[in-house]
Amino acid sequence: MITGRGVTKTFRQRGGVLAGREVKALRGVDFAIEKGGAASFIGESGCGKTTLGRIIAGLEPHDSGEIVIDGTAMSSLRPRQRQPYFRRIQLIHQDPYSALNPTRTVHQTLNAPLTLRAGQTRRPRSWVDERAGELLSLVGLDPGYVLPRYPHQLSGGMRQRVVIARALTVDPEMLVADEAVSMIDVSLRLGILALLKDLRERLGVSVLFITHDVATARYIGADGELYVIYRGQVVERGPVETIISDPVHPYTQSLLSAIPVLHGLERPGEQVVVPTEALDESHRDTGCLFARRCPFGTERCLTEEPLLGHGGGTPQEHACHHPMSRSVVAMPVGGG
Amino acid sequence: MTSEKVAVTAESTVKGTAGRTAPGVRVSGLSVVYRTPAGELPAVSGIDLELVPGSITGVVGESGSGKSTLALSLLNAVQPPGRISAGSVEIDGLGDVVRLTGEALRKARGRHIGYVFQAAQNSLNPLKTIGKQLLDLGRSHDVADLRGLVREARDLLGRMGMDGARVLDSHQHELSGGMRQRVGIMFALVLNAHLVVLDEPTTALDMITQATILRIVREVHEERGLTTLVITHDLGVVAEVADRLAVMYGGRVVEQGPTAQVLGAPRHPYTRGLLQAIPRLVGDIGEATALPGRPPTLGTIPAEGCVFRERCVLRTDVCETEDPPVLSQGESLVACHAVAAKARRDGPATAARTWEPGDVWAIDEIPGAGGSDEERRDEGIRAAGGVPQVAGVRRGQGGQA
Repeated sequence: MITGRGVTKTFRQRGGVLAGREVKALRGVDFAIEKGGAASFIGESGCGKTTLGRIIAGLEPHDSGEIVIDGTAMSSLRPRQRQPYFRRIQLIHQDPYSALNPTRTVHQTLNAPLTLRAGQTRRPRSWVDERAGELLSLVGLDPGYVLPRYPHQLSGGMRQRVVIARALTVDPEMLVADEAVSMIDVSLRLGILALLKDLRERLGVSVLFITHDVATARYIGADGELYVIYRGQVVERGPVETIISDPVHPYTQSLLSAIPVLHGLERPGEQVVVPTEALDESHRDTGCLFARRCPFGTERCLTEEPLLGHGGGTPQEHACHHPMSRSVVAMPVGGG
Repeated sequence: MTSEKVAVTAESTVKGTAGRTAPGVRVSGLSVVYRTPAGELPAVSGIDLELVPGSITGVVGESGSGKSTLALSLLNAVQPPGRISAGSVEIDGLGDVVRLTGEALRKARGRHIGYVFQAAQNSLNPLKTIGKQLLDLGRSHDVADLRGLVREARDLLGRMGMDGARVLDSHQHELSGGMRQRVGIMFALVLNAHLVVLDEPTTALDMITQATILRIVREVHEERGLTTLVITHDLGVVAEVADRLAVMYGGRVVEQGPTAQVLGAPRHPYTRGLLQAIPRLVGDIGEATALPGRPPTLGTIPAEGCVFRERCVLRTDVCETEDPPVLSQGESLVACHAVAAKARRDGPATAARTWEPGDVWAIDEIPGAGGSDEERRDEGIRAAGGVPQVAGVRRGQGGQA
């Protein structure tokens, strides 16, 4: 569906005290997402996962590297020619409150793109209303209830469903969900996640899930690929279940260790990994970028950059000079 | 209250718990209403909650559950159009906060009760350094020894793993989210308050930063001998940090007790549903099940009967009309008709059986329970298209009659 090779992106601060300073958001990232497949990007805020998601959705140009959609290299096309390719990839924002126009009813919100679509595909006007109803039913909403309403009359969960329905109006082949449930009430989150999972299974839509919560990534696509991103680099990559049960990169282990333990139901992992500094403010780019926070860092880590690969014979790829499996994940009380 | 009259000396602002111990807090029958065009609507109704001296209590609830309103009530700081319509908040050494007014109330805030606001990251003044804001705080509370206050602030920040002197010289934009959150905690503690309320202390923070903040909350709590209340929507946060846990829904506390007990053997259908709706890292991911429907808002909280009944798999007719009885067992309390009915039938012992994720009571265990999916569905959300069916009802664990 979409692959990327060596994708980079650097932001330059325009004004203010930091004017001219460069922030390397992405430092050469490779990825591949299959048709109907699932992938998740996890990492802390500022790691570049959102930037990568926006680049994949065609909302942000990248600096260097190549992006290929359905076999066509985007660099071979002019910006306008890329549109039909990126139309296949739709982004679902974190915030369903600002993603919808507050002055439009759900009916109006869905009608505009569907009318365009009807024109493109030479369908009669009657198809527009029919399709709007279909899409709302598909995302688990009652069209009769939702269509005449404005966004403020809907709950956060219902709004996010409307956003998903809107994304589906252009028949996308892939949905990019950027922290799509972080602003939704806890009891409603799983419903949205289940919907994305269901769309993948029923419509064959690929899902790229961008999150800091590994457990939700696991829920969406346990069969998918997990990309752990740190300061613009992929530091560990492989099947979700492999990385959760057997992480080898200390950064991945720190992320998994930080997940709260439900005491009473779970006991903490045996080898919890805590980064040594809360923040690496040195912004030094030599060696391993995580070395200055890593509790297991050595001299070599400070000078020599580790490359993504299967070093040490691990099933997943990692970028660590000293890969070692550690049991960091909390286990249910009483085994299991 | 008499302690208010005592001039604040340097000693009392500098370190230690000298002469002050963790206060207990007793919230009784607390109700808060908000005036709306539709009349006065209850945000919080008849809450009874005790904060044991020296404990960390977690209050968990979704938006609209009334958890922030409850927290503000501890400061008697509910803003119009809201007002505390009934009940009391007794704090050791202060008396009933609901009756405090004017200067006495202002002094109590900060001095006795420290409050870390929701999004503390954004509650700092962007134009002043942290140090200047600290001095403002000191002056408004008539602190005589401002140097001592600065020293105390520096120590606290150092304790939380930061360079105190540097942070005090910084503007907020120079600090990361996690650092601002720690500054918020410093402000809540620097006047030597021994009751601390943290409203969503880790919202918008990264996982690793969240873990750091929670560890700091726990450590500072123990070192300084505090009584701490943590308000959050995230069960994981309270599970990690709290000794005791209260679950709020629709303005009521539906279940409370020691954290391990509430999470290990939850009794209220809402607590169970919530736990089941959280995807986990280990075990069968397919067991995660969404709660049907959605939480009530101020306007849709039922005036009588159980507030959770719309979404409850154990609903019976009595839930429509009568407030659920509060059943106590050991140290935990639960407000549910179904639990009460079950306890009446089986004796209280079986209610304490352990619970596993994925374990839901079978409907046939509850006399008269049921109701069709049609009735239970949310007005807008259909039990179709990706919404897991309500009837995810499985036989409970074996070993029962």
